[in-house]
Amino acid sequence: MSVSRRRRSVFDLIGEYIDEMESWVEELMVSKQPSWNINTNTIEPLCNVDITHDEVVVTADLPFSDPESVKVELLDKGTLEIKAKIKRRICCNDLGIIHQSGEFYTFSCKVRIPVPVDMDKKKEKVKKGILEVRLPRKKGYEIKVE
Amino acid sequence: MLCGFPDVGLVGVLASSHVISELNLDELAYVDSDLLPPIVVLRDGLPRAPMRILGNNNLLVTIAETAIPAVGVQRLMRSFVEWVKLKSVKTLIPIGGIPVQNRQEIEEPKVFGTGSTLDMIKLLNREQVNVLKEGFMVGPQALIMRYSAERSIPAIALLAQSFYNYPDPEAAAAALKQFANITGIKVDTSKLFEKGEEIRLRAKDVMKRTQRELTKMNKEQEYDLPLYV
Repeated sequence: MSVSRRRRSVFDLIGEYIDEMESWVEELMVSKQPSWNINTNTIEPLCNVDITHDEVVVTADLPFSDPESVKVELLDKGTLEIKAKIKRRICCNDLGIIHQSGEFYTFSCKVRIPVPVDMDKKKEKVKKGILEVRLPRKKGYEIKVE
Repeated sequence: MLCGFPDVGLVGVLASSHVISELNLDELAYVDSDLLPPIVVLRDGLPRAPMRILGNNNLLVTIAETAIPAVGVQRLMRSFVEWVKLKSVKTLIPIGGIPVQNRQEIEEPKVFGTGSTLDMIKLLNREQVNVLKEGFMVGPQALIMRYSAERSIPAIALLAQSFYNYPDPEAAAAALKQFANITGIKVDTSKLFEKGEEIRLRAKDVMKRTQRELTKMNKEQEYDLPLYV
């Protein structure tokens, strides 16, 4: 059995730990914010990440969205951004928000992808207003079985 | 009595909320507990408890509009079932979801049932409800069934195939259809379909908090294969 993989320096490892901690801090910060932003006219949808043996499946619930407008982009190696236009007028009052006024035009959320994925091979579909993105996982190294 | 506590797909909460609205039920009681978060729900400007019981002459409906903290779910559900026993409720029917991975592909969710007594299982069989014979249940509905069985309270859990972490009004409609078959109490569920997108949008924050609590309860254990040797 032979194992080959890229050697990582101690600085790579420290960098990864810092990235990890930053994402935890970001998650903590985000969780204290409302799921809507009147300044950017956006609503943060519910989303979910499932990591399986060979792919990462990201889903997002996008009611009232226009399926043609859905955009999925990898911002950096660990963050996926989902955006979609809302096809009907939704104002604060529609969501039971009385103390502020404004309208929402877009769904927007950022999802952390904790393992390397191949964006070129991503597959997307929208069904029942739910976006599903399938991202094949990149293989880091191979273990040969003799 | 119909119970709708926050669980996968918020199926029970959406079903309870819909029945309350369609039958225009009055508030009769509420749950006062330090185990619930320090919140009030505002209705027409007035403060209401997040866990309430509404009803008319032949139906009681329990609804919780906030996620039940995992740390207090056992004590809350035990007290709730003891109260139900005290009030001589005829049949307790918790409604919930049963998560399925391919929910997007399912047009009409199936409804499964469990009973607290053999008579309730016979009733489910008579009504041709698929009985969950093996497996695990986790969460408020699971505890209601366990405590009801311990106290010989007739109880039936109706669980509709649903999304795990997205509000699922269609699953709530499917469960209410089965509820009508069992109890004879029919409720028009068309609004759950017509207003489906609006319901999903408005329920998303409660769903998010519910998901966090369900994770703490190890809800994913419902996917586990049952152990029989």
